[in-house]
Amino acid sequence: MNIGVQDDNKTMIKFENVTKKFPLGNLAVDEVSFEIEDKEFIFIVGPSGAGKTTILKLILREFLPTNGTILVDDFDIASRHFDQVEILRRKIGMIFQDFKILFDKNVYENIALSLKVSDLSDDQIKKEVGEALSLVGLAKKEMTFPLQLSAGEIQRVAIARAIAGNRDIILADEPTGNLDPKTTWEVMKIFKKLEGTKTIIVATHNTDVVNSFQKRVLVLKQGKLSKDQRKGGYEI
Amino acid sequence: MTEVFTSIRRTPYQSLAAFLILFFTLFLSTIMFISLSFLYGLLGYVETRPQVTVYFQTNTPENEIFKVRDTLMNSGKILSIKYVSKEEAYKIYKELNKDNPLLLEMVSSDILPASLEIFAKKPSYLPELANFLKKQAGVDEVNFQKDILERLLTLTDILRKTTVVFFLFLIFLSILVLITTTLFKIALKKDEIELLRLLGASKFYIKKPFLLEAILFGFTASAGSFVIILALLLYLKPFFVPYLKDISQLNISLFLSKLTVWPLNAAFLSTAFFLSLIFGVGIAILATLLAIQKYLKI
Repeated sequence: MNIGVQDDNKTMIKFENVTKKFPLGNLAVDEVSFEIEDKEFIFIVGPSGAGKTTILKLILREFLPTNGTILVDDFDIASRHFDQVEILRRKIGMIFQDFKILFDKNVYENIALSLKVSDLSDDQIKKEVGEALSLVGLAKKEMTFPLQLSAGEIQRVAIARAIAGNRDIILADEPTGNLDPKTTWEVMKIFKKLEGTKTIIVATHNTDVVNSFQKRVLVLKQGKLSKDQRKGGYEI
Repeated sequence: MTEVFTSIRRTPYQSLAAFLILFFTLFLSTIMFISLSFLYGLLGYVETRPQVTVYFQTNTPENEIFKVRDTLMNSGKILSIKYVSKEEAYKIYKELNKDNPLLLEMVSSDILPASLEIFAKKPSYLPELANFLKKQAGVDEVNFQKDILERLLTLTDILRKTTVVFFLFLIFLSILVLITTTLFKIALKKDEIELLRLLGASKFYIKKPFLLEAILFGFTASAGSFVIILALLLYLKPFFVPYLKDISQLNISLFLSKLTVWPLNAAFLSTAFFLSLIFGVGIAILATLLAIQKYLKI
């Protein structure tokens, strides 16, 4: 794995005939192949159960593929080198569908958690958390607990945690799933700000968001990749 | 460490249970260690006294006495034998009674018997040796510390066996309670552990707070129990002094080196604390590792 080395137009993520079949037999991803370049912004779209979340979880190596090869920054995620898996995950910022915010920790502690695992110093963590919170517009909510925040603010904390620490890849799983239209656009503005600085993959079924961004779109249907459109849109 | 204190604050009853079981285990274990050390010290002391003293009739020739001595030495059961001649016995008598001229006048070296002071390799050989000596020609009297040694041996043996059984039971109980409390803490932090794993935390990073908590409990429980034991020892010391006034030192052999048990001293107390600390922290870490191994799937 080339840690920290970035080439222009290099392939950041590569799926080659990837299939993911769960133990009970349901086929979540079926023979999917695509490549994503470094710093590319793409949407993965499709109806519920199409395999969007599974693809993100495969990239994060939360799941292993049943068949096929997945390379993330030249690292084969099927590798059993667990120390390298840890390094891979530290390069990825994931915004989970269910937020995965810890309610017994305040905003600062939630974001710092992702930086502490990378052994950053306290000063570095403070700086990174501050920058991430400024970017998502929560600079003054460091000491606030999640229960005191609105759904949109919690979503922004999740985004701040994913982008803090200069990660190479941002994976967002339905980042606007439960948000009202106003908050949805506030959240998407954050992604707009990050465009061109990181590889960003947003899984969503929000057609308005996808169409307004005019970015590459991978369309999934029943686990198969049905379309790969450059500057595409999306219709249900 | 902040995480450790937060974890204790969030699970106060489980943490208290873990601390108390360790505290009592270490308290009882340390008391047993100190008691056994004293008993072994006392046993060692008694063993350094002449264990069998055989007095010969005054008319027994020296060569007869030496023959008995040589037979004993060849038995393989003897550590050493000291011959005390009539003249040496008289010297000792004079020294012991130097302040009493009347007693000195009444006694001459002729009426004092020669004797052999015998040290056996094992106290269990003593009755056999005493029986052998009683059958020898020229033997007047055989003295051996049968009762004291036997009682001390029995007491030490009972305490050692009790300690082993009790130790094993306490260790089992402690590990069981610690595993249960750690399991509860793992369940409580399930979401955080899952998240840390996905954020790229190493396995050790996830295990570290549980291990640190175990070390903290082991340390505080051993320190707390030792402080109470120390206070008890200092309180009871004046009661022991009259019983042990004739004994200048009690020593035991520990880790191939000699350790003075009595009078109470810093080296012995430090050793007791150090062993208690190692034992406490060891049990806590072992239990935590077992719980992590079984329930923390990372």
